[in-house]
Amino acid sequence: MRYIDYKTVLPRTVAGVLVFLIVILPVFTTNVITLSVFISSGIWAIAAMGFTLILRTGQFSLGQAAFMAIGGYTSAIFTVNIGWSFWPSFLLAGIVPGIIALIIGSIVLRVGGTYFSIITLALSEVVRIIAQQWESVTRGTRGLITSPPNPIVINGFEINFYASTVPYFYLMVLLVAITAVVFWQIGRSRIGGTFYSIAANPILAEHQGIPLMKYRVIAFTVAGVFTGFAGSLYAHSLTVITPYMLGLWQSIQIMIMSIVGGIGSLAGGPIIGSIVLYTFGIYLSRVEIYGIQQLLFGGVVVLVLLFLPKGTGLIDLWDRFWRKVIWREEEYEPDTPDD
Amino acid sequence: MSYLELKEVSKLFGKLGALQDINLQVNKGDIIGIVGPNGSGKTTLINVISGYYRPTQGTVLFDGKKISGKRPDQIAARGIARTFQSNVLFEGASVVESVMVSSYLQYRTRSWQAFFETRAYKDEHEAVVGRVLELLRMLDLFNDTFMPAEGLSHGYQRMLGIAIAMAANPRVLLLDEPTTGMNHEESMFVVENIRKISEQGVTVILIEHNMKVLLNLATRVVVLNFGYKIAEGKPEEVMNNQEVIDAYLGTEIV
Repeated sequence: MRYIDYKTVLPRTVAGVLVFLIVILPVFTTNVITLSVFISSGIWAIAAMGFTLILRTGQFSLGQAAFMAIGGYTSAIFTVNIGWSFWPSFLLAGIVPGIIALIIGSIVLRVGGTYFSIITLALSEVVRIIAQQWESVTRGTRGLITSPPNPIVINGFEINFYASTVPYFYLMVLLVAITAVVFWQIGRSRIGGTFYSIAANPILAEHQGIPLMKYRVIAFTVAGVFTGFAGSLYAHSLTVITPYMLGLWQSIQIMIMSIVGGIGSLAGGPIIGSIVLYTFGIYLSRVEIYGIQQLLFGGVVVLVLLFLPKGTGLIDLWDRFWRKVIWREEEYEPDTPDD
Repeated sequence: MSYLELKEVSKLFGKLGALQDINLQVNKGDIIGIVGPNGSGKTTLINVISGYYRPTQGTVLFDGKKISGKRPDQIAARGIARTFQSNVLFEGASVVESVMVSSYLQYRTRSWQAFFETRAYKDEHEAVVGRVLELLRMLDLFNDTFMPAEGLSHGYQRMLGIAIAMAANPRVLLLDEPTTGMNHEESMFVVENIRKISEQGVTVILIEHNMKVLLNLATRVVVLNFGYKIAEGKPEEVMNNQEVIDAYLGTEIV
């Protein structure tokens, strides 16, 4: 008989039930506001996952919102200006940021480190300025008014994105699920180990024959593709995209969500972080003090870094809750090495 | 024809010559010892061969092809692996994880095959795990397989460094002082392993201060002083060379 370790099975089952409850949320409520909160959380979760993937290779990207903006503008321009339907534009909204990430990555990742962060920061400003100034295409600060995806008809059954938010919610769940599975698989396969080694010790990794540039560019491009998809969904769920929607603060927000959720996990951490922080941010938007959200988000990051160090974030709290509160385990202390 | 060849290699840092016109021929299967006082350019030599530094002048040929000016990963892919003078490790990884991660060059399957876990990848992965465990057993790290690498004692960290370099499947292994900070027994254990590695058909170049180790091991010894090669030959000959003794002990001016 196979031995079942209830100590790992039970927390996973509870986590699985929670995920399932979120997935079948429309059964309990079709309230537009509740669903929109989850849709937006999902969009930020994908962006935060991209940030975490880049961080796995040791690079700190401060321009992830720029890729969301590129994705969003791509699908908006193709649906509004050129008149394509949503689905091919959505596909293009992943390809275009991917290609841009590939080009910029293969130039910028040569330097790496702090310079990479500064250049990605500059990238997000460049994208904003282009969106603002290229009025003939982007309509400048007025932004582009997008529409929800066209209805899909399968065997006479119509999925209508105009009538309710529920189909959009499931589109979001699907995209988050695909991103999570892809990133999780990258993390647990050989590629994840290679990413880790590049971050942990680039010099040693390079002397072991690992081409640093190649793997940094892979991480940056994969993150760019999925962030672009997220940006497209963002633009179409809000039905508008303007240059100021995805700027520096949004990039920092992505970073905060990833760190608070836990950078040790490629999929779970960013999802938890974005759901918690986005909901928190919605709640704060009722408070009429300018900048309170930024201030409190900063406070949350400080708290996480103080009390949940080593980049484990909120996802580690879940683990600790079971180990400390439920199973009442003793703290593990490694043996001191005998020199 | 020699296997690894350095032709008139110089490395200058500003105007300071760390290496000056070094010529060196290494044959397949050799164990070359590099000795010299502190600051004589031993580590610079290894850094130049492994691609960490580009030589200012001259060329390094490996297997008849020029490797100087290439990136370290390209040179490693051709079969030259190295260890470092200090204990350079992957932070936060356990012993087996560090060696697995370093086995990058043992995989022939592509990244996408690893991503989709195809049959070819799984078979290869199994073979690599087997080889890594074998390596750990050979270097006496098997008992510490799941220990964090930082938790190992200095001597074992040196062994882990050799294991990491060997995981790259090298044809030439550059060892930068493999026996620093070790007592006699530990050094002899390292010597034994270097011999085993050499018997596997790996050419070894090692920097070493301990003459006993070199007498035991090296087929040829190269002596550097202030970046110049001052002597080359069998260990016994070199040890009795007047110039070498002067370099190490200084000349007496009476």
